[in-house]
This record gives sequence, structure tokens and C-alpha cells, in this order.
Amino acid sequence: MTAAKLKPRQTYEIVSLSVTPLLVRMMEMGILPGKKISLFKKAPFKGPMAFLIDGNIIALRIEEADLIQIKEA
Amino acid sequence: MEVAEKKALKSIAIIGNPNVGKSSIFNQLTGLNQKIGNYPGMTVDKMVGQVHVGEKHFELIDLPGTYSLYPKSEDEIIAHKVLNGLGVEKPDAALVVLDACNLERSLLLGTQVIDLGIPLAFVINMKDLAEKRGVNIHTFALYQQLGVPLVMTDARNNQGMEAVRDLFQKENFEVGKPFHKMGFPDLLDEVKREFKLETDYQAFQQLIFADFDPLLPVDQQKWLKDKAKTFGFDGMEQQARETEQRLGQIKALLASTQSSGKGTPKKLHAALDAVFMHPIWGYLTFLAIMLVIFQAIFAWAETPMDLIDGAFAAASGWVAEVFPPGVLTDLLSEGIITGIGGVVIFIPQIALLFGFLAFLEDTGYFSRVVYLMDRMMRPFGLHGKSVVPLISGMACAIPGIMATRNISNTKERLITILVTPWMSCSARLPVYIILIGLTVPDESWMGINLQALALLFMYIFGTVFTLLGALALKYVLQTKEKSFLMTDLPIYRIPRWQTVLLTMYNKSKIFVLEAGKVILAISIILWVLASYGPSGEMQALEAEKEAALEAATEEQKHELASEFASKKLEASYIGIVGKAIEPAIRPLGYDWKIGIALLTSFAAREVFVATVATIYSVGEDVEDELTIREKLDKQVYADTGEKVFNRATGFSLMVFYALAMQCMSTVAVVYRETKSWKWPLIQTIGMTIVAYLGALVTYQIFI
Repeated sequence: MTAAKLKPRQTYEIVSLSVTPLLVRMMEMGILPGKKISLFKKAPFKGPMAFLIDGNIIALRIEEADLIQIKEA
Repeated sequence: MEVAEKKALKSIAIIGNPNVGKSSIFNQLTGLNQKIGNYPGMTVDKMVGQVHVGEKHFELIDLPGTYSLYPKSEDEIIAHKVLNGLGVEKPDAALVVLDACNLERSLLLGTQVIDLGIPLAFVINMKDLAEKRGVNIHTFALYQQLGVPLVMTDARNNQGMEAVRDLFQKENFEVGKPFHKMGFPDLLDEVKREFKLETDYQAFQQLIFADFDPLLPVDQQKWLKDKAKTFGFDGMEQQARETEQRLGQIKALLASTQSSGKGTPKKLHAALDAVFMHPIWGYLTFLAIMLVIFQAIFAWAETPMDLIDGAFAAASGWVAEVFPPGVLTDLLSEGIITGIGGVVIFIPQIALLFGFLAFLEDTGYFSRVVYLMDRMMRPFGLHGKSVVPLISGMACAIPGIMATRNISNTKERLITILVTPWMSCSARLPVYIILIGLTVPDESWMGINLQALALLFMYIFGTVFTLLGALALKYVLQTKEKSFLMTDLPIYRIPRWQTVLLTMYNKSKIFVLEAGKVILAISIILWVLASYGPSGEMQALEAEKEAALEAATEEQKHELASEFASKKLEASYIGIVGKAIEPAIRPLGYDWKIGIALLTSFAAREVFVATVATIYSVGEDVEDELTIREKLDKQVYADTGEKVFNRATGFSLMVFYALAMQCMSTVAVVYRETKSWKWPLIQTIGMTIVAYLGALVTYQIFI
């Protein structure tokens, strides 16, 4: 399961990140395996998703969220 | 490494993640002692400030906010080049600003800077927020482990700034303990020897940047790539490895130097986001905020703009009166002073718009706008970050284009710059008002005034073309860069006046100093072309005018003056060109007089009104819209006797002004923002062609 599909009001754990040119960018924003992740807000019409990671709100498009593998925590 | 020459000033580079309050600290330390310059070959501005601490003076170089030193955009390339002294003078030390609430993320960059081997100090900012979140940082333990002097600050509330000044006073910058051990020691040794670098990490960075630094000589680039190949060094893979390992080390370090509290956003912030990021209220609040800003700009910019206009007109008149008549006086009064006036007139709009933008940016609201609008912009090849520039373009394209700075994707930024002038700016308003007054009846249809409806239509027309233009460019422009959105939504904060005022001041200064030169040059050229013609004719007209004035009564003098102004414009070079292009613009419904107005109004759209007034010898009172309208309404073609300003011509002109560049200030700003003449030229030519075709189609439909 990836972060693009997580349900609201539930906390997940990041398992791994897909290897793409965005990998380093994600890691340096604090999106790292082992971190807790939950959904904060979703923009309408499949717009960006805002996640809560380590107390920071980080907005990603669905394509980017799809690169984050998660599991229920 | 080059031996640093003896310098009058010690220089210190300040670097940190976005949103850590780096610019806050920079502003507090330097105040108004800031200078904006260029990095050769780059579009990012170089901000340098002066810091005075006691008897000591320092130069503070503000590096762009980045999360790491890896090459992703110009920001990181500049940080890389400055911190390693490549092509620019190497600073004596670095001041790294860290976020007390996000030490893990901040230290990724912080320890990378340590490993470059440059003397440095850490400023851990936003300690107030960390305290509120229950984060406790053991600064002494951190200092012991990293070997880097550090101070805690809350720069917004001016706390801890004395400690920062103290760092400068004591020049307390130290080379930290090497933090991360790199792989490929043999390869890195070779790179160090070849480029005369000191640390492994500098060599590693040099390898990584081989592909990205546009100013690196080709042979060096090739050397680096060949070496990487020989050793089986894959840049991307190594970056990922380094980041992972470094973050692992940081985590271990923080386990013993920080005790963290629980990390959820405060209730108030969550409540604000419940509105600002709401699928309905979010958009409505955004719309409301933008309406308030526009209302304020139109209300507040008008008075200073009128004052500037009046002051320069007075200065121009004064010069013409006091100095002996002649070419130089004319050049000064009509060319130079009017030209400078044409630059200064934009300051109220630029300053106000940037004041509001800085205010909203500083609160943390803008990243929410990016989040809200991204979905709507993407189909057009634009980014959520394109929204603010485009909307600003409805006041004036200049601040809009200047606000594209934070769009990191080159293609999306370029598209935004290229289409923003199609948004209906305030300079089009006087043109629309005159033309709508001439061609649209002042009647109501179902309770709606037709003239108001026509004006609204022109605004929608501009917006539609902006989006269609972006869509077309999306397919035309090629890029390797992938578009993405990955943005921090910072917590809401109360904006600081200092930041807002400094932004207003700096943006106005950039415009006047950099775009101003180009605008002044073009306006002088246009003035010369409109005031001089082939030998003899002008003098003959002047003599004729003198003779006519001698014989005229007081009442006739006024009329004669405007009549000769019209004749002189007709005899000038611009007049000649205007006549020459008549065959080309006749299908658009324009005569040569309108042709002349099209040419002169390249300076700025509103000049159309003034030129039309001159060429149809309306008289000096340009402000009087009704006179112009009546006069224009009477114009007929000499050969056919048909009305010149019929409905088709009026519509065609409105479409032309909606779509043509007709603003040299925008051209100058696009030149500045893209740092080349290529894009402003393509843009101007492209817009003129589209405008011509649009006007042609419009005229043919309505005739």
C-alpha cells in the first residue's frame, strides 16, 4: 500500500521509498522509512495531499505520494 | 585551495532550509545595508548585506534556502559554488541556520556544510516553538559532538540576536569535526588533487555537480565523468546512500542531545487550516483575500501614481521653460525626464503588490494557495506556484513576472513568465474605457449595463488566452525536468513589518535599477523617432507654426498648437512608419493614424490614449475623455467617407491591446528575469502575431 491510498484519521508507518530522481528530495524533507505518517488534508478533484510527518505538514501530489510505501502502524 | 587574498571585509555566507527564518536573521543583522547583485550566468539574485559589530565589519552573503547541497536547481548550484569558492570568492566562514523543531532535517544540510571543511557556526532558530512543542535541545552536548559553536535564537522576537552578534564579534567560527565518512577514497583523492580541494566531501560534491554546473569547463566536466565511470561511481545512487547514512548518524546524535515532545500542530493552526484548506471555504477565502488586495491596490496606488505623473510633467515643463530651447533641452524634458517618469510610475503598484505578497508569504498562507490551486493549473502546464504571479498580472504584469522566482521548475516558470502579460493589467483599462465608450451603447440588457459587460468580457478574454497560451507552450517547450510538488506547509505566524517593508523596498529597487535602464533607453528611442523626421520637414513645420501663431488670435492659438502637434507627429519617423504599415493594418480596420498610436504605445498601452489625442488634435486636455471620444467619433476615411471608429474597428483594437505586448517595461522585466534577450524577443514577436491575427479575425467578423 502507498501513501496515495491511506485512510484519514489513521496513522501509518513509512516502509520504503521507490527509487526515483525524487528519492533524495523526499528524504531531505524528512520523509523517511520508519517515520509515522497520517493524512492531514486532501485537495478536491485528486489534487495534492497534505501529510503529517514528524509534526510537519508536507503537501505532495498523488503521483509523489504513490512513491511512499506504508503499512498500518 | 586558493589562498584567500587580503580583504578589507571578512565575508560570511548564511545558509539554511526554507522557512527556518534565515531571511529574518539576515534582515536583523544587516537592516537596510543590503545590496542585490548577480551571479554570472544565473538568474538567482545575489543578496549581500553588511554587518557592523562594534569596530568590526563583515559582508554577509545570503544563500538561497535549500534542504541539502545536492544539485536540484540553481539554488543549490549557487550554494555549492559559493561555499567552495568556485568562480566566486570563497567566504571566510558560514553561518548555518537550523530549525529547532526540525533538527534532523536541518542537520542534514548542517553536517554537509561541516564536511566541506569551511569554518562555521550554527544558529538554532525558532527556539520558542521548540519550547512550546516540548523539544529540549542539549546545546553543550551538541557542541561537543559536532565541534561547531552554536547559539539559540528566536529571530522573530529579536531574542538571541545578541549572541549571534557576539559570534561575529569574537569571530567564533570553527571547522567542525568531519561528520560523515565517504566511500570511494581513491576516486575522491584523485578529484581532490585535480581540483586542488581539501576535503573528501568537496571532491564528492564536485563529482555530483559535474552534470549540473553550467559554468564548469567542458574538459573538466568530461574528466569528472570519465573518472566516475572508471570507478563505477553513480551520482544518484551515492547521493541516496549518503543521505540515508547521514540521516541515520543524525538520528543517533539527536538521541543523546535532544529530548523531543509530541509533534502535532496546535489547535489554532489546525482550525485555520480547516478553513484555508477547505475544499469550498478555502477557495472562497482565497478569492476574498485577492479581491481585498486588488481593491487596495487600485485605491491606494492611484494617488501616488497621479502625484508622480504630475511631478514629472511639472519637472519636464520647468526644464523646457528654464533652459534655452534646443535639442538638448528637448531631449532632457521630453525624452529623459518623461522616460524616468515612465519607470517611477510603476513603483506604487510594485511596492503595494509585493507588500501584500510578502505579508501573506510571511504568515505561511501562500503555501496553502499552492496546495489549493495546483490541481487547476496542472492541465495548462502550470504549477500551483504560478497562481500568485498570474493573479498579480491583473494589476500589473511586472510584479507578476518578478514573483515567478519561487517556481523551481524551469519550464513552468518560463511558461508563467511568457503568459502573464496576457492577464488584463490596469494599463489596459484606459484603452478599454475609451474604446468601449465609442463602440458599445450605454444601455442595459436584463438590468446589466452593456458597457460594464463588455469590460468584464475583456478581463475574461485575457484570462482565457493566458490559459490557452500556457497550454500551447506546454507542448512546444521541451524539458527533461519532471514537474513535482513537494512543499512544506509551515505553521501560521504573525507577519513582521520589517520583512514586508524590506521586500517592498528591495523589489522596487530591483525594478528601477535593473529594468529601469532598458525602459529609459527604449523611451528615449521612441521619443527621438516621434519628434524627429527626415531633414527639412520638421523645420518647415516649425516655421509655418511660428508664422501662423503670429497671425492668430488668443483663442485660435490653442487650436493651432494642437493642429501642429498632430502635423509634426505625422512628419516624424514614427509617422512615416505608421503610414508605411497602413496596408498591413487596413484589414484590421485601422488607418495610419491608429498605426502611429500602435507604434508609440509600445512604450505602454495607456500611451495609446495620449497619442490618439495628439494625432487627431484633440488638444492638450487629454484627461478629458469625453472630448477624445467625441472627436474620434467624427473621424472618417478620406477616400470612402466611412467612420474610422466603427464597432468593428473598436472591437478589433480592444482585441489587439488585449493580446499584444505593448509594454516595454514588461519586456525589460522578462529580460531581467530570464537573463537573456531570447525570451523577451520571442514573447514580443509571438504576442504581436497573435494580436494581429486576433484583431484581423475580430474585424472581419464584425464588419
